[in-house]
Amino acid sequence: MNIFEDYDAISQCNKCGFCQEACPVFRSTGHESGVARGRLALMRGIIEDRVQWTKELEDPLFNCLGCGACTASCLADVPTADLVIKGRAEYLEKVGRKPIHKLLFEQLLPYPKRLHMAARAAAFGKNSGMSKVAKALGLLRILGRDFAKAENIVEKLPPVPFRGLVKPGEYPGTGDTLRIGYFIGCGVDVIQQEAGQESLKILKKIGKTVTVLDNCCCGLPAWTYGDIDAAQKLALKNLEAFSSQSFDVIVTDCSSCASFLKKYPKVFQGDEKNQDLAQAQTPLFQDMVEFIFKNGYSTPTGKSPIVVTFHDPCHAVRGQGISRENREILKNIQGVEFREMPEADWCCGGAGSYALTHYDLSMKVLDRKMKNVESTEADFLVTSCPACMIQLSHGIRRAGLNTKVCHISEIVTGAKPKG
Amino acid sequence: MVNENFIRELEKIVGKSNVSVTNTGIELYSYDASLVKGNPGVVVFPANTQEVSQLVKAANKEGIDIVPRGFGTNLSGGTISITHGLVICLSRFNKILGIHPESRYAVVQPGVTNLEVQQALAKVGAFYAPDPASQKVATLGGNAGENSGGPLCLKYGVTSNHILGMEIVMADGEILRIGGPALDPPGFDLRGLMVGSEGAMAITTELTLRTLPKTQSVITMLAVYDDIQAAALSVSKIISAGILPNTLEMMDALVIEAVEASISCGYPLDAAAVLIIEVEGMIVGLKEQAEQIKEICMTNQCRDIKIAKNQEERNLLWKGRKGAFGAIARLAPNYLVNDATVPRTSLPKALEQIKIIAQKYECRVGNVFHAGDGNMHPLLLFDSRNEGELEQVHKAGWDIMKACVDLGGTISGEHGIGREKQEAMKMIFSGDDLNTQQTVKFAFDPENILNPNKVIPLSKSPGRPLESFEPTILKRLGGASCKGVVQAMAAIKNAKDAGKSVIVVGADTFSHYGNICKQDVTPVSTLSMTDIIEYDSDNQFITLGAGMSLHGLQEILGKNNQWLPLRPPFFGNKASMGSLVAMGISGPERMFYGAPRDFLLGLQYIDSQGRIISTGGKVVKNVAGYDMTRLLTGSNGSLGIITEATWRLLTRPELCKALSMTGNLDDCFGAVLELMNANLFPAFVTAVPVNNIPEDNGTDQFPKLWKMVVGFEGMANVVEHQVEQCSLLLGKHKLKELETWDYPLIDGCFKDIFNKIAMAPYTLKLATATGKMLDLINVINSIDGIKAQARMSDWLLDFGCGRIFSALDSLDKDQWASLTHGAISLDGHVHLEKAPDDFRREQDVFGGVLRPEWAMMHKIKKALDPHSLFAPGRMPGKKEYEV
Ligand SMILES: Cc1cc2nc3c(=O)[nH]c(=O)nc-3n(C[C@H](O)[C@H](O)[C@H](O)COP(=O)(O)OP(=O)(O)OC[C@H]3O[C@@H](n4cnc5c(N)ncnc54)[C@H](O)[C@@H]3O)c2cc1C
Ligand code: SF4
Ligand code: SF4
Repeated sequence: MNIFEDYDAISQCNKCGFCQEACPVFRSTGHESGVARGRLALMRGIIEDRVQWTKELEDPLFNCLGCGACTASCLADVPTADLVIKGRAEYLEKVGRKPIHKLLFEQLLPYPKRLHMAARAAAFGKNSGMSKVAKALGLLRILGRDFAKAENIVEKLPPVPFRGLVKPGEYPGTGDTLRIGYFIGCGVDVIQQEAGQESLKILKKIGKTVTVLDNCCCGLPAWTYGDIDAAQKLALKNLEAFSSQSFDVIVTDCSSCASFLKKYPKVFQGDEKNQDLAQAQTPLFQDMVEFIFKNGYSTPTGKSPIVVTFHDPCHAVRGQGISRENREILKNIQGVEFREMPEADWCCGGAGSYALTHYDLSMKVLDRKMKNVESTEADFLVTSCPACMIQLSHGIRRAGLNTKVCHISEIVTGAKPKG
Repeated sequence: MVNENFIRELEKIVGKSNVSVTNTGIELYSYDASLVKGNPGVVVFPANTQEVSQLVKAANKEGIDIVPRGFGTNLSGGTISITHGLVICLSRFNKILGIHPESRYAVVQPGVTNLEVQQALAKVGAFYAPDPASQKVATLGGNAGENSGGPLCLKYGVTSNHILGMEIVMADGEILRIGGPALDPPGFDLRGLMVGSEGAMAITTELTLRTLPKTQSVITMLAVYDDIQAAALSVSKIISAGILPNTLEMMDALVIEAVEASISCGYPLDAAAVLIIEVEGMIVGLKEQAEQIKEICMTNQCRDIKIAKNQEERNLLWKGRKGAFGAIARLAPNYLVNDATVPRTSLPKALEQIKIIAQKYECRVGNVFHAGDGNMHPLLLFDSRNEGELEQVHKAGWDIMKACVDLGGTISGEHGIGREKQEAMKMIFSGDDLNTQQTVKFAFDPENILNPNKVIPLSKSPGRPLESFEPTILKRLGGASCKGVVQAMAAIKNAKDAGKSVIVVGADTFSHYGNICKQDVTPVSTLSMTDIIEYDSDNQFITLGAGMSLHGLQEILGKNNQWLPLRPPFFGNKASMGSLVAMGISGPERMFYGAPRDFLLGLQYIDSQGRIISTGGKVVKNVAGYDMTRLLTGSNGSLGIITEATWRLLTRPELCKALSMTGNLDDCFGAVLELMNANLFPAFVTAVPVNNIPEDNGTDQFPKLWKMVVGFEGMANVVEHQVEQCSLLLGKHKLKELETWDYPLIDGCFKDIFNKIAMAPYTLKLATATGKMLDLINVINSIDGIKAQARMSDWLLDFGCGRIFSALDSLDKDQWASLTHGAISLDGHVHLEKAPDDFRREQDVFGGVLRPEWAMMHKIKKALDPHSLFAPGRMPGKKEYEV
């Protein structure tokens, strides 16, 4: 990995500074190290030999949320989030990789069961200090920064993984034709199982068959960390698993996974064979939100009316360009009043290893989000990414709001509000 | 050089985490949006004014240069430290401190972005007019630093027209407040000077902005042309027809192509140019305006004109314009954007020149610019990785500036000089002009530590003034060749040689003005300076000698249905234009039209060394150099003798109509507060007492019943509509007895009242924010002996401008001090426009309490007029600061 290859893309930044408006990190710090212009300037500085690979680069490279907001307002359309990942990859090579990343990416993420067990073990052992495993797990967005020491986490952490309850394999549905693959993200598998159950209900109602996949982590955590090797291994493992069966569509209720699955061809840049394999499957992947929007789903009525607002996961709104569908779905449910919140598409601050490594910053970004949530007075804060759900719930607790966080599937099936 | 100790010192002030000194930290502040680069020694992020002050003091002690920085989006190298100094970044100053739509102002910290202010104001139905295309990421501090403009500036003017006050940290660390919500404080226009000073005079830590109520409706049009020259011609035809759209933006073929490729917003790909024209205001009359524009375009070879049918279509049209820079930016890694300005009618020629220059240097150029005010923005594309290309675009940029100046324009309309255009200053200013500007900077910053070595070209021998030379390109008309100027120069020389001071007498209308000093003064007349040096009615400006009377000027302009929309109070028919500049005064119409400071484009004056110094130019957008025009305006002749001035003009309104209704003061005030942020645009909002002498004699003479008088000026049907709406609004507040009448354009409504007030021994002017007018009245009424004066029936409450004009029979020292204190406590100020000689000898007519900013004024005075040659006594704080 060498950022020199991206010299052209990096030089395309003309330093206009327009990304400053969009970047949640910059808006919290006001420091150039936290904005696309600055990150690109440093990478250009490295290429042009004014800046050296040292630990000083860790912050500017790793405090990027990868949310892509900068690119959306970038005059020159510079793909900073992607370039930063390349920068991270080279950083890991030149400055060094930490053992806990190896542990996470190579030992835990490829094996969902191991991941779940490790999480339980770490949660129970929370009082005995942060173990190495706990630290590694804390890097995962789905568990959240406070994972290893937070109260209540044991009660919240289900005793068996989702796929312990719903074994991988084919289930019959009530639909006529569609053969659906259900990709289980780590978040649903390990924690947000209620959301998973509701998603499964929706899929079963619409599909002729629903296959709960025996996939592993999509690879996004490794990719965002810049560990491209590990990301490729995980992606390949999944691609091979999918191609052994035949589906009309592969759905996931995690927008982050969905966006990364769609990105697989990019992960294999320069590796033609695997890129072709990825390319062939890309058209199959759908975010749960797209799936519901396309196929429709009628909700049981008779519930008390509720007010909801929606948080756009970065990987939905910018990663996949989904922003209208989720709102349309919510607006069309009887008894649901949808209220748009200000800056709904702003990152919640929980991205990647972020919440762990840049706690204060992450909380600043999150607090801003909570102010916006509060202004809507919504009963439910809905989103479509289990990792965002963890971060948002943390924010709600911090801010002492009454709003509840849930997955869009839970609103669609009527599981929320309860009763 | 920055050393370890200094860094420790900084860390003590702002905390370690707010100091950046690492290699990467430095690299991150080595650039801004311009092409200039340079490494700072250290970067700090203070949290409050106290910290800024301490930082400045620390830097002073070590002799380290300081560069203030907002979000670093300026295009002239203004935030680059070229001496490896201290960069003070104000990004943490990000709070909006207060919004007061009823008084039309807001207070913000300098690190707030322009867009954040707009969003906050929109919630209360108000807006802030300057709207740079970079508004999402440009801070108010940066806007003020560069005197930024945007599309809306065609109608509303640039940043300088909308900054009321500031808190600044001076080069020695002193914290000072200048201006504020109350208009035009006595003495020099320091905030006028600060705006556009590019961080070289002081560091801004707070700003008071003038806000306006949002208009009701808007019509946006896209005019398509097959010939770019025809588009340019339409622009000047629209303006010279007397229509003032709020925006008139142009894009050429390369830009259209690029925009359509990235955004696709419906610009025809085969067009040579498009114009985006927008008019806004009351619904009534707006359609007619749009029709009129359409007609003008069509007679000027417009292919097609499309009117946006709804908000969506409107957004789409603007999306193209706002994304234009970006779309172009995709065509090449870098661009140099030039922002030279020309008189509007020269746009076709300027475009032709730009094309030829681009061909000569073989660089691609796209034009997207503020056509309405002649502000070009040619974008020259290149790749900075290729040294040869960089040199070529720099040369092309230089030639474009030359071409524009040759057409009577200037080198920068809104982006500033900074480092990039420093040498080009010689195109438009003489050596003496530039040395004078530098002298003012050094009055603020004697050690030259604030953003040093920028704006003014460097002299060959460091530390010495520039040698004498004439501007290399610009030919300034007038000067010593005009009538009366040589005589005045001789008179000044004689007085100087005789060790005397001089005071200008124009028509001798203002001999009662200012304080009386011990110095022996010689009167110098400007009355013979009556030349009309250049009157360009198409471009709507006039340059004329200082001795011409305002009355005479209006007559000349009337022949072209134009005028200078100023009705200064206490101004006789003969009062000269020079005195209008010197005093900078304005009547109640200031709320709608502005003051002399808003209409002056440039000046020439004789300075204390007997030289003719030029300021500004003749184009409406001009940010080249420090704003000497504003410094001179309202300086009461204490910096030099103004010989000629260039004024911006307007087309005469069709109709001037006033209405009056009567009620008690509280009801009037309630109506005022609503009217100030309503969807109505009065030329003035005033009240006068109804009955002259109250019944009971002596105890309570404050008038009970007031007549509110509100005027409207503009297109007849719009005026009629507003008068009607306004009467409804006043009626809602229980005001009664509606009367309406047309009033004369030149004399306006208040000539008689002002004349009456001026008959008293004392003529008093007090100012505060509109929302505090009642409090100010209470202050007056609470002072012993003032309330009981019969003359108090001569009042003019200028609500729209937050001012009170009144007459007094007597005023003693204590009363004067109390009045001053009272006004200051309401963020206001006081001023005696007229007072008996004794008072003027003993007291200070500019205020009974010393104000800290006056010391700064005297520093400037001392630098520019060391022997106090000009108008002694006409500055505030005479006793304390003058010898
Ligand atoms: C794509 C693009 C489009 C643009 N469009 C426009 C436009 O339409 N109109 C326009 O006028 N400009 C435009 N600009 C230029 C730029 O955005 C403006 O000059 C803007 O006002 C700069 O704001 P900033 O916060 O970035 O200031 P900076 O660049 O940080 O500073 C600008 C200057 O002000 C000084 N300064 C900043 N803060 C303070 C302070 N608190 N006290 C004292 N001095 C201070 C600095 O020293 C510097 O000299 C554009 C720029 C870009 C990149
Ligand atoms: S991806 Fe997000 S966090 Fe990273 S630079 Fe862009 S806007 Fe900032
Ligand atoms: S918006 Fe794009 S081009 Fe502009 S500074 Fe940011 S990354 Fe660079």
